Amino acid sequence: MRFVEKVCVLGAGSTKYGKLADSIGDITTQASVAAIDSAGIDPKEIKAAYISNVFGVADKQVHLGPVLMSNLGISDKPSLSIESACGSGSVAFREAFANVAAGFYDCLIVSGVEKVTHTGTDWTTTYFAYCSDFFYEGQAGASFPGLFASMARAYLTEFDATEEDFAKVAVKNHQNGLLNPKAHLQKDITIDDVMNSAVVASPLKLYDCCPFSDGASSVVLCSEKFAKAHGGDYVEVIGSGRGGSPAALQGRDHMTTIPSTKIAAEAAYNMAGITAKDVDFAEVHDCFTIAEVVDTEDLGFFGKGQGIQAIREDRTKLNSDISINPSGGLKSKGHPIGATGVGQVVEVFDQLTGKAGARTVKDAKIGLTHNFGATGASCAVHVFQSV
Amino acid sequence: MSVKEQFIENAKDGKVLTHKCTSCGFLHLSTVYYCEKCGSKEFEDSILDGVGSVATYTIITVAPAGFQKYTPYAFVILQLDDSDLRISGFMGGIATPADLPVGTRAKITGFDERGIIVEKQ
Repeated sequence: MRFVEKVCVLGAGSTKYGKLADSIGDITTQASVAAIDSAGIDPKEIKAAYISNVFGVADKQVHLGPVLMSNLGISDKPSLSIESACGSGSVAFREAFANVAAGFYDCLIVSGVEKVTHTGTDWTTTYFAYCSDFFYEGQAGASFPGLFASMARAYLTEFDATEEDFAKVAVKNHQNGLLNPKAHLQKDITIDDVMNSAVVASPLKLYDCCPFSDGASSVVLCSEKFAKAHGGDYVEVIGSGRGGSPAALQGRDHMTTIPSTKIAAEAAYNMAGITAKDVDFAEVHDCFTIAEVVDTEDLGFFGKGQGIQAIREDRTKLNSDISINPSGGLKSKGHPIGATGVGQVVEVFDQLTGKAGARTVKDAKIGLTHNFGATGASCAVHVFQSV
Repeated sequence: MSVKEQFIENAKDGKVLTHKCTSCGFLHLSTVYYCEKCGSKEFEDSILDGVGSVATYTIITVAPAGFQKYTPYAFVILQLDDSDLRISGFMGGIATPADLPVGTRAKITGFDERGIIVEKQ
């Protein structure tokens, strides 16, 4: 595939993730302003906005794009919203990437947001179940933890793994999250804490699950020419891939792998001209502990059934063999679902431009983001390189 | 009756309405409109017994709206006998993993506001 332009991330910003008081429009704007300031550009240089959001209706605001553009003083500029469940952010990023690569625009903003915690656990659980293949799953009482718990049960049955192994994923990501001032759950936890937490959907317990979070993240995406002309730090996007899986788990021949991840990763690696071995660190979609184990296998970091061994041997901790989720991941940093995929890019930008502070992955050159919707029915993978 | 209505009527009788591709013979759930293997749009009905073994499952204690009154309950994925198809559904009365080892024999027994109902055989 040949593109007209090389694509770069020129600026990035996020709100804190957690329970936020401000409105969905306000937090979208706050993250966007942070990204614009980080890029050092004039908002009037932005040609269009890509917004990722799922449940705007829960905070009484859909059609977020014009609200953001008006707040940025560029109400004449076009915008659109993209929904792909928990994968919305990476899909919006991908669409923005494609438009810059094709030469349609030289500078775009991608802003992801979610504001749901005010609806409470029961309603958030209910809304999220609408992201499943509802006729077969949500309608039969499946919650999202329940669907991933079904994958976890299959993994425990198929491979030499224990619930304590899954717990170790949560412990690791909380340790990383402690180093991230914007993380939702900044709390050191132990394997016993996870094992003794309340069962949500067996075999997953509360601390196997990411929290429901509010939050917004934003990045400024531009052509290499535009980035060079501005002179600030930037990161190059060298690979972009998307993939799909059967909407319902029942449609998959194997319950311990996510087909869309493999398809997206292969496409992204091919575009970048790299293999999984070349990746220094990755922000992966760990909505539940089982998901991170499956992700690291499907992305090719470990063989099938070996992801659990890697966790056991601490091979995915910060500055070990491959740093997985240095930000704390969805598990600790939090999961404002429309923002998550963009937030991963914010972390990669911070890492590759020397802004990640105590959680810096040493000597990192290549970072990867992996973000999916629902149980991986939709997925996007991106590869970034320091300049 | 729409295909989905026919599917539901069959589920109420413990059956699974499937669509068999007339070109290549691949079997799909009847909610599919084009053959996954060959792209053909021509299918013939094939009605399977809703009987099989539990491929995987979860026991839900934090439930979506409308399901709190049923907790704890299981969401199961059933591997149907004599086909490669799996189908998911609601199973009541399951409290601990000991109640439902993977591989447990089970069958579809109905369809109501909880979707496809599955019970242990």
